[in-house]
Amino acid sequence: MPTRGSTGPALKLRLYVAGNGPNSVLARHNLATLCTTAFSDVCDLEVVDLLEFPHRAIADDVVVTPTLLRVSPLPALRVIGNLSDAGKVLAMLRAT
Amino acid sequence: MSDNVDAVNTALRIRLADVEATMQALLSGEIDAVIDPRDSSPVLLALAQKALRESEERYRTIVETANEGIWLLELDGTITFVNEKLATMLVHGVPEVVGRSLYDFLPDSFHGLAAARLARAPLGLAEESDSALRHQSGREIAVLVRTSPIGDASGGCAGVLAMITDTTRRSVAERKLRESEAEYRQIVESTTDGIIKLDKYGTIVFVNARFSEMLGYAGSELVGSHVLSVVPPAEHASVRDALRRREAGASTATDTFYTHRNGTDISVNIAGSVLRDETGQFSGVLGLVRDMTERNKLQAELIVSDRMASVGTLAAGVAHEINNPLAATIANLEFLSEGVATLERDRTAVRQGDWLRLRFTEPLADAREAAERVRRIVKDLMIFSRSPVDEQQWSVDVNGVLESSLRMAWNEIRHRAELVKDLADVPVVRADDARLGQVFLNLIVNAAQAIPVGHVAQHEIRVSSRRDGDAVVVEISDTGCGIGADDLERIFDAFYTTKPVGEGTGLGLAICRRIVTDMGGTLTVRSTPGVGSTFIVTLQVATHPEAAPRAAAPAAGAAYRGRVLVVDDEDIVARGVERALDEGGHIQRAPSADAALALVLGGERYDVILCDLMMPNMTGMELHDRLVEIAPGQARRMMFMTGGAFTAEARQFITSMDLVLLEKPFGTSELRTAVQQFSASLAEGTQ
Repeated sequence: MPTRGSTGPALKLRLYVAGNGPNSVLARHNLATLCTTAFSDVCDLEVVDLLEFPHRAIADDVVVTPTLLRVSPLPALRVIGNLSDAGKVLAMLRAT
Repeated sequence: MSDNVDAVNTALRIRLADVEATMQALLSGEIDAVIDPRDSSPVLLALAQKALRESEERYRTIVETANEGIWLLELDGTITFVNEKLATMLVHGVPEVVGRSLYDFLPDSFHGLAAARLARAPLGLAEESDSALRHQSGREIAVLVRTSPIGDASGGCAGVLAMITDTTRRSVAERKLRESEAEYRQIVESTTDGIIKLDKYGTIVFVNARFSEMLGYAGSELVGSHVLSVVPPAEHASVRDALRRREAGASTATDTFYTHRNGTDISVNIAGSVLRDETGQFSGVLGLVRDMTERNKLQAELIVSDRMASVGTLAAGVAHEINNPLAATIANLEFLSEGVATLERDRTAVRQGDWLRLRFTEPLADAREAAERVRRIVKDLMIFSRSPVDEQQWSVDVNGVLESSLRMAWNEIRHRAELVKDLADVPVVRADDARLGQVFLNLIVNAAQAIPVGHVAQHEIRVSSRRDGDAVVVEISDTGCGIGADDLERIFDAFYTTKPVGEGTGLGLAICRRIVTDMGGTLTVRSTPGVGSTFIVTLQVATHPEAAPRAAAPAAGAAYRGRVLVVDDEDIVARGVERALDEGGHIQRAPSADAALALVLGGERYDVILCDLMMPNMTGMELHDRLVEIAPGQARRMMFMTGGAFTAEARQFITSMDLVLLEKPFGTSELRTAVQQFSASLAEGTQ
């Protein structure tokens, strides 16, 4: 089980979007703002386009976009929507 | 085990929370796409939603901002939708209208019509008709209703969409439009300019009342005819040309003629503008037509009245000029009378020293010189008093006219500035001496008035003439206040004056310029404020010198010894002439043309008949005509005298007959010479 350390990003996120849909664009923008201000050096973010990789979404049990997944640390958590509620996103990121 | 149960519970809670979050996100429109895990095909959601929302909003905007009332009716007349506009029309809120019956809002008389229309709706026809709505207050509103049936999903008729326009408002707008049209029509009809509108082919499509009146037609009689039908043939080419230029886009004013119904030509000025249709294509011409005959007449009157005003302002100065020599003449004549009285009492007085010279020779010379001065002044005045009807262009000696004008204005100049004359030997110019004199006098008086009174040594008025190619240039300069750049552009405009109210008419320079331009010359100005102004008159050298009526040249002469008849109603003149000629001849006097005619009819024959031109009852000209009939030999021997009251007829008479004219006043020797030369020319003619 991975543990939090000072080397390498402890936080691994995956954002599912649908091309340049308005909520997807907004979610990317909101997350980028959060990552650079709060988690700049510890954030490992992957953006996956649902339209290109639908099977990855199904594998991750994602049915709507945008969806932000916390891949690690566990437990796996998700925020659904355009991430305009920064409090909700931060709560998820910090949850143990 | 409990750990596992907890883990499952936690996982389930998370799943539930995720489902809840998904629902919320869906409801708040934060979802772009949904993927169906069974066929893994994503469905773009947000875009579809957005498009739907936008299209709905568009329709809502259209419906709500429409100028027309809109409602949806079921076939039984139930209102299922109403827009704000229509609700406002009925002074109800939207919720108060929806769900109620159409018939609640219709006057009773329209119920049948509405029912029939609803019944017809399933036929699928759109209809339009005038109808009425009942306002909350009970008042009826006139409306125009357009209905179209609405289909349901199964292809049947679900109801009717009705669009309703308030026509009471439209009637108000139409009335306002009519009023504004009437206002424009009134402007068009009451203007003093004629207005004519042509289509692109030159056909008259509109004329106002003034235009018809100008050409002597009634109302819209001219509409439909081609514009060339009211243009004299000689002007056709130029009018066609003007129309063509307008077609090319030029909006210019042209001077031309129209033909009055009675056949006379009317001088007009047309300010035309190009009309274009919505696509910018040339569609016709609108012309503002001004009758110039009136204006030309008025302008001529103004020129005369200005000249009279010039004479008026100078009258006091001239009277002063005349009074001085006149006083000298009278004083000297009285002194001479006393001398004669002394001589009658004592003839030996003559022998005393210088008595004869002091008592007779000197006062006689003085009286004569003074009288000469009066003669010169009166001659100058004559230039300005001639009526405009006999204005003609002669070959004029510019310097002579300048000298006359300077003498006339001397009273204005002498208290203000030194006069410097720089007159070159210039050829005669094509001009009218009277009008040219008016111009020079005006410019000289202006120059003087630009200088304050009392500093003669510091100021100068310079008058110069010189030849420049085919022109004679006259410059009149002053060292006065000068003219500012703003005024300089406008001083030649009519009624523009910088003088206090009552001192200038503001017409002087405008008229001067017109006079000079009419003579084919130019009038321009240079000026520096504080330094002075120079007015420059350029006149054309006369190409075919044509002399003014020939006046007998004065020269020393001896007594005439032939038989002379003097015809003059002025006894004092006749006696003077008799004395001058009586020395060796046989002189007879006739106080009128009738008396002269009687003498000739009675068989008297004369070597010379010296006749006044203008006399009451029968003029000298009429006497001449009668003599041509009854005694042509005597008619040939007529020479004329005149006091200067020329009429156009008189001038025409003298020039056409090539007769000899002697201008009063004349001296004894002048008279003798003239009579002798005339007599000699008669002798030559008979040989």
